[in-house]
Amino acid sequence: MANVFEMGVRQIRAGLAAGDFSARELAQESLAHIAAQDGRVHAFLEVTEQAALDAAAQVDAAVSNGTFDQMGPLAGVPVAFKDNLNLKGTHTTCSSRMLENYVSPYTATCVEDMLEAGGIPLGKLNMDEFAFGSSTETSAFGPTHNPWDLERVPGGSSGGSAAAVAAGMACVTLGSDTGGSIRQPASFCGIVGVKPTYGMVSRYGVVAFGSSLDQVGPFARSVEDAAFAMQAICKHDPRDCTSQQVETDFLGAIAQGAESVRGMRVGLVRAFMDAPGLAPEVRTKLEEAAHVLEDAGAEIVEVELPHANAAISAYYVLGPCEAFSNLARFDSVRYGYADPGHKDLGSQYEASRAAGFGMEAKRRILLGSYLLSAGVYDQYYYPAQQVRTLITQDYVQAFERCDAILAPASPRTAFKFGEISDPATMYLSDMFTISINIAGNGGMSVPCGLGEESGLPVGMQVISPAFKDENMFRVAAALEATYGKAPVAPGFCPTEG
Amino acid sequence: MTQYVTEKDVRDMAAYARVGLDERELVQMTEDLNSIIDTLQPIRQFNLEGVEPTFHPIGSLSNVMREDEEQPSFTQDEALANAPKQQDGSFLIPAILGGGDA
Amino acid sequence: MRKLEDVLQDWEAVIGLEIHAELTTLTTKMFCGCKLEFGAAPNTHTCPVCLGLPGALPVPNKAAIESIVLAGLATNCDIEKHSMFYRKNYMYPDMAKNFQTTQGPIAFCMRGHLDLQVDGPGAKERIDLGNLKPGESGAPGTTAANVTRTEDGYVAHVGITRIHMEEDAGKMVHIGGDEGRIAGATHSLVDYNRAGTPLIELVTEPDLRTPEEARLFMQKLRQIYLAIGISDCSMEEGSLRCDGNVSLRRRGSKEFGTKTELKNMNSFKNLHDGLAYEICRQAEVLEEGGTIYQETRHWDPSAKRTIVMRVKETADDYRLFPEPDLAPYDLTDEFIEGVRAKLPELPDQKAKRFEETWGLIPYDARHLVEHRATAGFFEQAMGVAGKDAKKLAKPLANLVLNDISARMNADASFDLLDCPLTPERAIELVRLLADDAISSKQGREVLAAVFDEDKDPVAIVDERGMKQVSDTGAIEAVVDAVIAAHPDEVARYKEGNAKLIGFFVGQCMKEMRGQGNPKMINQLLAKKLAE
Repeated sequence: MANVFEMGVRQIRAGLAAGDFSARELAQESLAHIAAQDGRVHAFLEVTEQAALDAAAQVDAAVSNGTFDQMGPLAGVPVAFKDNLNLKGTHTTCSSRMLENYVSPYTATCVEDMLEAGGIPLGKLNMDEFAFGSSTETSAFGPTHNPWDLERVPGGSSGGSAAAVAAGMACVTLGSDTGGSIRQPASFCGIVGVKPTYGMVSRYGVVAFGSSLDQVGPFARSVEDAAFAMQAICKHDPRDCTSQQVETDFLGAIAQGAESVRGMRVGLVRAFMDAPGLAPEVRTKLEEAAHVLEDAGAEIVEVELPHANAAISAYYVLGPCEAFSNLARFDSVRYGYADPGHKDLGSQYEASRAAGFGMEAKRRILLGSYLLSAGVYDQYYYPAQQVRTLITQDYVQAFERCDAILAPASPRTAFKFGEISDPATMYLSDMFTISINIAGNGGMSVPCGLGEESGLPVGMQVISPAFKDENMFRVAAALEATYGKAPVAPGFCPTEG
Repeated sequence: MTQYVTEKDVRDMAAYARVGLDERELVQMTEDLNSIIDTLQPIRQFNLEGVEPTFHPIGSLSNVMREDEEQPSFTQDEALANAPKQQDGSFLIPAILGGGDA
Repeated sequence: MRKLEDVLQDWEAVIGLEIHAELTTLTTKMFCGCKLEFGAAPNTHTCPVCLGLPGALPVPNKAAIESIVLAGLATNCDIEKHSMFYRKNYMYPDMAKNFQTTQGPIAFCMRGHLDLQVDGPGAKERIDLGNLKPGESGAPGTTAANVTRTEDGYVAHVGITRIHMEEDAGKMVHIGGDEGRIAGATHSLVDYNRAGTPLIELVTEPDLRTPEEARLFMQKLRQIYLAIGISDCSMEEGSLRCDGNVSLRRRGSKEFGTKTELKNMNSFKNLHDGLAYEICRQAEVLEEGGTIYQETRHWDPSAKRTIVMRVKETADDYRLFPEPDLAPYDLTDEFIEGVRAKLPELPDQKAKRFEETWGLIPYDARHLVEHRATAGFFEQAMGVAGKDAKKLAKPLANLVLNDISARMNADASFDLLDCPLTPERAIELVRLLADDAISSKQGREVLAAVFDEDKDPVAIVDERGMKQVSDTGAIEAVVDAVIAAHPDEVARYKEGNAKLIGFFVGQCMKEMRGQGNPKMINQLLAKKLAE
């Protein structure tokens, strides 16, 4: 049997159909790989062996009774989920002590969609606590390590989701992106990571951080695998009021490979290229990627996003305000950590939340509590929503001149543990991704090889107009035609040695 | 650096958010918040006169509603499955006095 | 403490109400599909949404939004097409999300009003009507500016600031202390079955000036909500709840005084008495040079006083912000017009129709429509009255408003629409009365017999031989005989002792064994004695 952890969705389907291997073997191989390798990475918080084997049995039954054709596009594909996505009967900890023992009684729509498409659920993945962070270092259960360099962070907050795919422990994973939490770790781990347009994927069952910013999306080692996953999860959901009905054809969009981009206008943002803090090797890659696209028949145009520099400020107003309110429910009454021995509820509240939340969660909660208070609201929250208007208009105007924008996913490659300790500096990791969450449109990170200086993966971000997410897939397909599909990180591929 | 919030402010915020902080955390948190609030200042420097706010990326919802039809509920056991403490089918909590709105 | 009527001579009371109504007639909760049911086992009507589980999202109940739009249309509000849900953030254990989903500065319904017809003894609480004649309104800028005099009282125009949509909290039982009170309890039990029950809150302008007006506003609003069918409006079970804001200012002053918020006024009587007490209490404090504090007070009906619940040092800071899970919320014209088409006839419209169709006086019409049962019964009975309807309307209204209302008030389980007195029998009875076939005293006896024996009035009258003698010749003969038999009394009567008329009537009735038509006897006696 070929290395399952290198196979893509199409190969898995073909192999299962041809009887080269069974879904059970595939699941067992994946579980064994996790067991052998995750000690180094710590991508998984919980491995759902029984659920995986049960799902595999269904696939195998379909193969044997001739109904495999009718199964969804992800039939037999090993998948896993960020630990802020509810899967009934499993823990949903959000990497927080607060929810260490919480067992979810229901399943998120996006998880349901992945399982209905035939995915084999391997488990739940590490993250920054409640998605507050860019390195997965704020996880209460210890950080995840970057498979490319175990001394370095995988990015965050969906670090576990990115690392699991980069290490070949899953074929497709889901993460969530509030300010860059899919695109930045995808870039750090050298894989594809997609933040769809807000409203494309249901948020029902996704533990909320910033409700107007959060969006779930897939990680994969190829643009095509990501497209399969998008096809499964981009659906209207009546349980999420903000979910939209959009007709999509991601596989169709990328069917022509490098040719998919021919005739498209791809925008470059001068201010992004000249941004202080942008590592030279990333800038070099950006220019290189632009040439690649030009060679493939795209027209490169310069566009402006004049208010993008206000995005970080707006984000660190809106995110904490929404988080403050979203995290109020963790109060030790219905679920979650309850500090023992208190005679009055007030002290139980304070002690439980003091012990249950980490420092970063507390910072955001207090910041939100401050920003929403009387007199302060008008100084920050309201202007931030006005800035949202300006940023959204920037994108609308930019997309009159182009069909997609090419930008860095992150100003630099993966950093070392503890390298960035100041929260304000850490927040700059998301300088190129945040404005997309504010405006709501789509963005994805596509691996473009290794940085010349660091030797670490560099991802480029492709940004699409709202609800035209196929555009970024076209561009991504062209980049992949040159840079190749993402490899499993060195040292995680048993065939190597 | 500009002091936007004092330790007393932070104590008030923490009290409202019901997050216990010890003295050391209070000092650290005050410093962190001032540094973060400093990075928010660009938001106050734009000329935003006449700019309408966009409260949500989706714009606005038009008549997004569900029909008034009953859906399955949890059983009592399911509802209480994650309860730190329970009694007689209800969530059990210590005395409320000293709490919020009475 | 001084009496209310005295206090109101010196002080003007400024009253505003906040009225919460649970939309009990719906099937499910505001933001999830859990069933609304009173009295179910704890935590059996809950789901991820109303338990506030991580990841759950709200989806508004269409029928709830229809209900609030209906309420707005019925109270003359503007329906706002663009509004927003907001989160009101504060931690309290009966609120699963630790924020309440409510509405912001713009609610679904804004700028409405109700006109209150105030009459009877309660109208006397209003002392600033001066020399206004019926049809005249108070001059602009005066305290009576929102008032128009009527024949039997006045009409007060009361502004409604807004009606907004929100959700109810769960229920708590406090244990380990005395009688389930929160003070002294060691623990509490929380049940989220009620959490997320759709609730609408109506806020009035501070336009009310007397406890009677407040009571009438509440009563009228209840009639409207019942007519449009959005709530069972049970004040006892708490599905209709009222808080009052009260402040006083010296007559002639334009400045508002400090207001207190009054809670626990769970009946019309408590609403009136609680406000009346609080007005008198504030007057006493102010007259003694004291200060009114902005505080929440609790009306204790058994002790007949209000007690402090909570002092508000500063305005509450609930960190309100737009609910990002619901986004700004638009209603289409089509939706609003669809609701408008469902608007039933409202009590005021019905009263007007009763006046115009059957010539009722406004007082009768207004009180007939106070209850759905009395209005419905009256209308059914008029339907069987045929061409006599106009003639029978007044006696029927009297029957309903006096005898039947008394029966309804005495027995809460009495169902007028399902009782031995059918509309047909009611018409039969009032026809006997209108034709002078029986006396009004006999009428009451017949009515009692209808309820007791479940028989038609005519049959009862026949059985009991109750026919009233209205034959002029027969009565005249008796009258002549009585006058002839009592010359002394006749003489005294003629000297000016008019009271003796009763004696003569009694003698005539005795002669006729109670079956003489008293009106005719009276008339004939008066005529003959004057000769």
